[in-house]
Amino acid sequence: MSRRNTYKEDEILEEPFDIKHLLRASEYIKKHGIKMIIALVVSAMGGAAALVSPMIVRRALDVAVPQADKQMLFRLVLIACGFYLLSVLFTTIRSHIMINVSQDIIYQIRSDLFAHLQKLPFQYYDDRPHGKILVRVVNYVNSVSDMLSNGLINVVLEIINLIFIVAFMFAVDVQLSLVVLAGVPVLMVFMFWIKNKQRVAWQAVSNKNSNLNAYLQENIVGARITQIFAREDENADIFKTLSNNCRKTWMKAVSYSNLVWPGIDTISVLVRAAIFLFGLLIFSNGHQTLGTIVAISSYASRFWQPIMNLGNIFNGFINNMAYLERIFEAMDEPVTVDDAEGATKMPEIKGEVTFDNVSFSYEKGKEVLHDVSFTVKPGESVALVGPTGAGKSTIVSLISRFYNVNSGRILIDGQDISKVTLNSLRSQMGIMLQDSFIFSGTIEDNIRYGKLNATTKEIIAASKTVCADNFINTMSKGYDTEVKERGALLSQGQKQLISFARTLLSDPAILVLDEATSSIDVQTEKDLQKGLDAMLKGRTSFIIAHRLSTITKCDKIMYIDNGGITECGTHQELMAKKGDYYHLYTAQIEGLEAG
Amino acid sequence: MKKQSSEWKFPRTRIQWLWDNMEGYRALYVLCMIGTVVYNMLQLTVPFFSAQIVDKFLTGDHASENLANMPDEFIRLLCAMVGFTILRCALVYWDCMTYEKVSQAVLFKVRNFLYDKIQRQDMKFYSTYRTGDLMTRVTGDLDAVRHMVAWVIRMLVEAISLVSATAIYFLIMDWKLALILLSVAPLIFIIIYIFKRMVAPMHALLREKLANMNTIAQENISGNRVVKAFAREDYEIEQFDKCNTDYRDTNKKTARVWLKFYPYVETLANLLSVLLILCGGLFLINGQMTMGQYVAFSGLIWAIANPMRQLGNVMNEFQRFSAASAKVMEIYYSEPEIKDSENAIDKPERFEGSIEFKDVSFQYSDGKLPVLKHISFTAKPGETVAIMGETGCGKTSLIHLIPRFYEPTGGEVLVDGVNVKELKLSQLRGNIGLATQDVLLYSDTIDGNIAYGDSEISREEVVRFAKYSAASEFIAKMPEGYETIVGERGVGLSGGQKQRISLARALAVRPSILILDDTTSAVDLETEKEIQESLRNLDFNCTKIIIAQRISTTKDADQILIMQHGEITERGTHQELIEKGGYYAELVKLQVG
Repeated sequence: MSRRNTYKEDEILEEPFDIKHLLRASEYIKKHGIKMIIALVVSAMGGAAALVSPMIVRRALDVAVPQADKQMLFRLVLIACGFYLLSVLFTTIRSHIMINVSQDIIYQIRSDLFAHLQKLPFQYYDDRPHGKILVRVVNYVNSVSDMLSNGLINVVLEIINLIFIVAFMFAVDVQLSLVVLAGVPVLMVFMFWIKNKQRVAWQAVSNKNSNLNAYLQENIVGARITQIFAREDENADIFKTLSNNCRKTWMKAVSYSNLVWPGIDTISVLVRAAIFLFGLLIFSNGHQTLGTIVAISSYASRFWQPIMNLGNIFNGFINNMAYLERIFEAMDEPVTVDDAEGATKMPEIKGEVTFDNVSFSYEKGKEVLHDVSFTVKPGESVALVGPTGAGKSTIVSLISRFYNVNSGRILIDGQDISKVTLNSLRSQMGIMLQDSFIFSGTIEDNIRYGKLNATTKEIIAASKTVCADNFINTMSKGYDTEVKERGALLSQGQKQLISFARTLLSDPAILVLDEATSSIDVQTEKDLQKGLDAMLKGRTSFIIAHRLSTITKCDKIMYIDNGGITECGTHQELMAKKGDYYHLYTAQIEGLEAG
Repeated sequence: MKKQSSEWKFPRTRIQWLWDNMEGYRALYVLCMIGTVVYNMLQLTVPFFSAQIVDKFLTGDHASENLANMPDEFIRLLCAMVGFTILRCALVYWDCMTYEKVSQAVLFKVRNFLYDKIQRQDMKFYSTYRTGDLMTRVTGDLDAVRHMVAWVIRMLVEAISLVSATAIYFLIMDWKLALILLSVAPLIFIIIYIFKRMVAPMHALLREKLANMNTIAQENISGNRVVKAFAREDYEIEQFDKCNTDYRDTNKKTARVWLKFYPYVETLANLLSVLLILCGGLFLINGQMTMGQYVAFSGLIWAIANPMRQLGNVMNEFQRFSAASAKVMEIYYSEPEIKDSENAIDKPERFEGSIEFKDVSFQYSDGKLPVLKHISFTAKPGETVAIMGETGCGKTSLIHLIPRFYEPTGGEVLVDGVNVKELKLSQLRGNIGLATQDVLLYSDTIDGNIAYGDSEISREEVVRFAKYSAASEFIAKMPEGYETIVGERGVGLSGGQKQRISLARALAVRPSILILDDTTSAVDLETEKEIQESLRNLDFNCTKIIIAQRISTTKDADQILIMQHGEITERGTHQELIEKGGYYAELVKLQVG
């Protein structure tokens, strides 16, 4: 496993630049194939209509004006008007279609990215600051929106536009057209040179932005810690450094991007000068009319317009490619914990849990569990005790298959859990974590998270069972009180009670309580015990707690240490054994009585 | 959703605010705008030279004679055309880079300012703004501000200078034709003005939708464990999809607003070319203008038409800036209610550590009932005070008053005999070490986390404080020891491990006042005993306030306070309280079993 990432380090992108990112982006566009084709046709027609006007101008200048034919002039103007209106009509239709297509593409990319993120294991979230994930979903996708909406589509249009212009140009005069095209190779060399520089520069921008975002998010969430340690000045300095890195990389990147436009412009004026020189030479030979030179000169500027546009799009491509790579990288992140091929639905769980020689490690070479085997009968309650960091939480995380085991099997009702769908497994489990996470929303919404279609009545009943009803009712709007993710409104113990109610509501077949009551006071816990007893009845449950008073009644107590189960039995059995558990228990009692 | 009040509630307008933040770069920015005018003027020179070339050497009565007689001039004109363009390109490059430079300077300044503003806010602020919303302000909204300085203003200057210079040039060449062409301009302005008014609310809405999406995504990522524990992925996807769809639809709607105006603007822009052929042609026929003049007109007609076309886009961006900058300025001008008082006492020396609560009452501004009622107690320097009580009885609220996270609604909190309101926040908090209930670690090394409060301390000291909090053993077992990076919120560590690091972090600042808010709840008992022991033998003097559920943690305290419903109902030593036979005695019975 690579080292965890922090705001201080750039995330290294392992993939080199690849055309496949573009192809992949075009996958999203394909879905809108028909609309795209219509848009292209309409745009091409609009472009063609707009191109007719120089021809009309030429005819007016060459024929109508010298002949002083006002009637003809009026006619030509009318025709020009018609074509202009047509082109406006066509471009408007195109824009209508494109707005939908582009927004739908962005929506789709974002949806896919988010859906993929849901499948990624804890590991992914544990290994990098959350701000770096967030920036991909929101900011980066927004950035590429412009490239995919205006960019990819306009490329095709501008190229069609170019083809038309070139065709018209050749129709007017071959020699002068060749002069116009002579500028193209120069342009190609210029663009190739700048492309590589730009790419590296924009990748740096995306990295620095991501670092800044990571730092920002952590510090918004951890503001209280910053303040209590009076570290504002130091943090401001760190932020300034990150901010300055963003600025520097940005300036470097735009120093290349901004070269594109003036570069193309310079090349174009050279071409224009060439037209005059050559045109004059040819004109003095009497081959060409004045109208031809004026028309070619007009086409030449029309020829360079799409080239400049292409240059701009190209700019956008290069800088957004840095973002697109990051988005696709996240989408390509392997889903290590996924439904196996041909996974079946987990039938209704009765609650027999078996560990069969399970070994597990978070990081290679450092086994947390080694050859753990045990069986829990349906309806049994099992307490896991032992020193912090011994692997108690790990064991319970494995039952829900939050991680894949290195070797061995975990069976529920005789069914290997790696062979059933994750959703059918996890939706029957109720896990209360140490860290009770509260979402922004009302208290009721937070409890309802356990059972989405629960009625308010059920929610209140669950809250009453876990003794949360009382404090909720003292809040300003009761169950409708809005709480925030890091809201100070709730104490840790209250958060645990809410999260308890949430779990109870989900009516799980197997219940896991991981230090679920650590912040709840003893008195409340005693009241809670009744509700808890009801909850444990008939369910297989795993309880991790340091307060031994909560676990003495469990059917089975397992002492976990050194990557395995060192003792297992009922409270009475283990006390009689006078082993680790006995010491732990007596230490606690002594600790209490010593005062 | 809150409706944006129409009244402007900030001391400066948006443009004034931008100007304020351009300090140090104002002259450069003005120079830059002048540069924009200049390069646009230069842009008009190419057609001027080409018109001369056409007039003198291609058409006209003496074209071939001129060419024969003055080839030098022909070459000179060509060189001038090329030279001026290259000069212009160089200027454009300089100009664009300068715009970027100034905009980055503004971005840099405002972003740092905002960050600092946010991190110094009080708890009320944090319960008002969601993380995702704040993130949107510092990233997306601020980018709209940058875009304004770097692009929108440049485009405006460009449009104005191009149109006015061309207009003047046209008027000089042929005022009649010029007036005919310019008659289109007022129509465009009216259309753009209506557009601007219609699109403004859309941009405000759009950024709300963005902030919503940011919030949903942010909480989903932070709460990924809960999501997985309840197998709620589908539900989350559904929730996100709502925001995503909403955002998409609002984007479409906003774009369609422009599309309603686009055909008119485009038609008017094209009308210029039509008018040119018609009137120019007539003038040519009547001999009122030369072919060269006509070419100059037709070569420059874009200089009026393009800015017109561009104006809609510029307006769009301008409105985006308006919506975003209001959100940025809201934070920019926000003042925390809790800050240093004007005549705060300077107390740079180490505090003694005495704490006194004098008849303190407290109620959250959005709470229904008082959380603390008439609390009074004293802790002398070096004493240990334990606080116990039911969940939600106000223990945490009480200790949060000491570092002045909140202001009491009645009574006073004194530290070293001084009301905490009179102390400088940085000095007060610098003397307090707090290990919170909800342990927040940073994605940094363990060393970095422990040394968070004092990054100067040496590794030896970090190790020593880790020993105090009984963390050194498990840290030593980790693959990279103190250099191990713990993920955000300390993932990868068990609850007890996180708590011990948080304790080491609080100790590492050698505080005069140490506050432990249920810091050892997830630590096993033996380890806890160890911690108690080292807390008794710290090599610096410190007053300890300890919130705990376990009797074993609190029994040795000099004073134990029992809180119920925001009031202190029992107080005394372990022995005294047991003898008293109240709540505490009950607790002891319960826990000993």
